[in-house]
Amino acid sequence: MRADLRRRSVLAATVLTMPLLTAACKGVGGLGTLPKSGPDVALLQGAIDTEQALIARYRLAIARSPGLAGTLSPLLAQHREHLARLTSMLIEPASPSGTPRPSPSASAPAGSGSDPSATLAALETAETDAASSLAGRLALAPPALAQLLASIAASEASHALLLRAHGAAG
Amino acid sequence: MTASPGPASTHPASTGPAATGAAPAGLALSGAATRGTGAALQAALAAENAAIYGYGVVGGQLGTAARNQALRDWTQHEVARDQLEAMLTSLGVLPAAARPAYQLPFPVHGTGAAISLAGYLENRVAAAYLGIVVLDNSRLRVWAATQARACALRATTWLGRTVAFPGLSSGSGRAAAAGPSASP
Repeated sequence: MRADLRRRSVLAATVLTMPLLTAACKGVGGLGTLPKSGPDVALLQGAIDTEQALIARYRLAIARSPGLAGTLSPLLAQHREHLARLTSMLIEPASPSGTPRPSPSASAPAGSGSDPSATLAALETAETDAASSLAGRLALAPPALAQLLASIAASEASHALLLRAHGAAG
Repeated sequence: MTASPGPASTHPASTGPAATGAAPAGLALSGAATRGTGAALQAALAAENAAIYGYGVVGGQLGTAARNQALRDWTQHEVARDQLEAMLTSLGVLPAAARPAYQLPFPVHGTGAAISLAGYLENRVAAAYLGIVVLDNSRLRVWAATQARACALRATTWLGRTVAFPGLSSGSGRAAAAGPSASP
């Protein structure tokens, strides 16, 4: 999947941040063969995978603990926004925006059974891990993607804070 | 917050801790100077100075507990300001001075408006730090991303809700709200 993606796609971010002169010289036809797009696409795909796994966790958590829907649905909606923005940076999207493809962690339990407090705690940990994972990709990302990753990581850290506040209040 | 001078308003308390005056570890930037780096650091410094001023206004509208939180946040912005000034100095760039006063984005009377102003300030500062994240210096990127995260956490504590893209213009502007507000 990733190798295929590497061949067919380039980062929109890379295109946007390239000097105009370079773009003008190479033309659109030259963009698909840029060898540097590989690592960037892999990096972006990693971030997309992270978001898809989080979306799957939230959906599972809401299904198991419907009473948490009011708390979790807005956060899930923000993850869908994250995914859409990340996916939009691929000229040829890996999958339709907002439709998570199956991932190994999609079936991971969001908490033990339907215990709401355990669910909140598990999601808090997942958010914190996701924020760290995204932040860890910053240094190697092209500028526009780095900015987006930093913003999403900040959002997810604040999700963790909100989930912790709910856990303490609940 | 716009940078234009506005009418004199409540000035931040003058009892803050002593400035650290040092760049964060690994971020003394001598030799790494670029025009873009200086401009991005100056923009963040300007945002921090505006936030420091703004938190003085915020604190003046709040009760004791919330005012203490405003004081803690104000102190964090002062520390960040000092770090930015030290980084600029290490680049050989003169840090821009704070203005005597700043135009507030909306009238701030009462607790609700004060809390809204705190959230507004944090988003503006986060946006300025995202302007540093686009630079090539990876340590600077990571530091700025950490600062943007701190802004998002403070905003969430004040507002009791999160946004999808702190510091970036959001597509929908939808916010996820906490039931029991985390704000004081």
